[in-house]
Amino acid sequence: MNKLLLNSTVALAILASPAAAAELTVITAGDQNMVDYINDYLAPLFEQQNPGNTVRAVGTGPGDAGSQKILERFDAQAKADAATWDTDVAIVHEKFAGPMVQAGYLEAYRDKIATGKLVTRANADNALGTDVKGYVMPMFNSQTAVAYNPALVPNPPRSYAEIAEWAKAHPGQFGYNGIKGGASGVSFVMGWVYAFSGSDAQKLMYGPFDKAEEANWDDAFAGLKEFTKSATLTPGNAGTLDLLSRGEIALGPVWVDMFYSWQADGRLPPELKLVLPAPGMPGQPMHYVIPAKAPNKELAEKFVELATSPKVQAEGIVKKFNWYPGIDADKVKAELDDATWNKLFVDITPADLAEKGKPFPLAPYNTAILEAYEAKVAN
Amino acid sequence: MARLLGPLLVSPALIIILLLFMLPLAASVIGAFEVEAAYGLGNFTKAYDFSTQDIVFTAVIVGLSALLTGLLAIAIGGYLTLGENPTAVAILRWLYRWPMFIPFIVVGQILRTFLAKSGLLNSTLIALGLIDPLSATSYLDWRGVVIAFVWKQTPFVALMVAGAMASLDRGTIEAARNLGASRLRILVEIIVPQVTTTLLVGLVLSFVTMMGVLSVPLMINAQAPTMITADIAFRLSTYRDYGVANALGLISLAISGVAAWFYLRVNMRQGR
Repeated sequence: MNKLLLNSTVALAILASPAAAAELTVITAGDQNMVDYINDYLAPLFEQQNPGNTVRAVGTGPGDAGSQKILERFDAQAKADAATWDTDVAIVHEKFAGPMVQAGYLEAYRDKIATGKLVTRANADNALGTDVKGYVMPMFNSQTAVAYNPALVPNPPRSYAEIAEWAKAHPGQFGYNGIKGGASGVSFVMGWVYAFSGSDAQKLMYGPFDKAEEANWDDAFAGLKEFTKSATLTPGNAGTLDLLSRGEIALGPVWVDMFYSWQADGRLPPELKLVLPAPGMPGQPMHYVIPAKAPNKELAEKFVELATSPKVQAEGIVKKFNWYPGIDADKVKAELDDATWNKLFVDITPADLAEKGKPFPLAPYNTAILEAYEAKVAN
Repeated sequence: MARLLGPLLVSPALIIILLLFMLPLAASVIGAFEVEAAYGLGNFTKAYDFSTQDIVFTAVIVGLSALLTGLLAIAIGGYLTLGENPTAVAILRWLYRWPMFIPFIVVGQILRTFLAKSGLLNSTLIALGLIDPLSATSYLDWRGVVIAFVWKQTPFVALMVAGAMASLDRGTIEAARNLGASRLRILVEIIVPQVTTTLLVGLVLSFVTMMGVLSVPLMINAQAPTMITADIAFRLSTYRDYGVANALGLISLAISGVAAWFYLRVNMRQGR
């Protein structure tokens, strides 16, 4: 009896000890809500299920700049020929998944984890023109839309053309954050190009890339420059929400998830609403990636598996943080009551999303549009 | 032996300056002309295409701020020197240095809440009935940046100027007063001409400091037009575009260089 107890204790100790030392480093781009999600929700859950291991979350900042920092970190470690890198899991914007796969930095892990087959959306296979199938797991899908204050704007504009007209009639009442302060402004600009440029929006979104398309954007940018003169420029994603909440602007593009989260926290008046203007605005997924030289690869896979399980996607992604799920929506819906699920679709219906939720343009178009904005609108 | 000791003692400092300052400076100057492994002016064309407005904006904003800083510093120094109410002088002497100890980022933070459309300034003006709520506008544009710079830099220049004024020969001031000159006239015609060099040193140092401030434009006015520093940060953090960032850095160095040249010229003329 005693021997059995001793043996099993020793066996347990052997089983548990290698894992006990591990500290999983998760670095994430994005606003503070991304770091909060890991620290407040996912890490405690993971630590509880994998006793002895700890999760360390590091935020690299909002917008493309945040993902750029992660890419630079990987570049540096690849150049230094480091045997193991300092990152186990990274969460990056869609635009950066492609370059990371092309550079050979990432582990193809999707087929190794159980939740890999729950991924249904095309944007997990192809990230803005680059094949990333197998290398990424979508954490969530997010969407931008235009928030408005019904007290000031009872009948909000429902298309880009109407927004342009409205902003002209109400100088300073439309606010957006340009392209330097986070992706909601970038998304608004991309939507503007889809709506008003001479290029076929389908070609900008799905390719092929053709540099000659740039010549078709001049009118759109001239219009946007004019538009921006009568708009208020806000300092960032949060800045737009902030000005909306204080009534300093009446209309502005925001991330849907941030909007709902702020509203749930009482940082935005409950009356504010969302509209997804025609012909549509872009949204994007954030992806979980695991570097090929991650120090704790198995644990990292376990972490992503947990993060993309229907239960966590339901509890954490949808219920707590108001994102659209990254994996098959039906599997996630099954874990939630109707009221919670429908909360996601109060102002923007699934039909709206299907019709007007667009991807961002292909990476090279994306860059060209941003540079053209700097040269023709901001300067 | 003793002859060798001198250079030997200086060498650590010299090596540090060479390695940590001159080398990176040279690298970024060279980097500004590097366009995809060849040399050319491509980065400057891009900087021109993207940021002409911001370059002009920066020069004008910083120039204007320096001018206002100078005027306020003279006013403060002048009152400290010529003021006749000892209590008022004591209070001013105690108050004016405060902003010096507040970092730029905190100044940005304070002014963001103070100058916003529904901020403290507008609320006060509305409560006093001076403006009506509908005509309230946000001051978080170029005006906010100028206010932040002037507020932060005035004490520094005033401290230097007041020191120089205090060490002037009181005899000249007394003589002018005996002949019936007003205090304003004494300040403009007697005192300021004697402290010009000090004033210029303070203003050139302020100018260069303001050229390099990133936190204030980022917090108050991160959008077009904004200051060169914000553009440099954006190009580096979002695009990793060191070429254009270096070119912009060189342009702001050139603007600061003009200020320094101006200062040297005045200084040498005085030394003659």
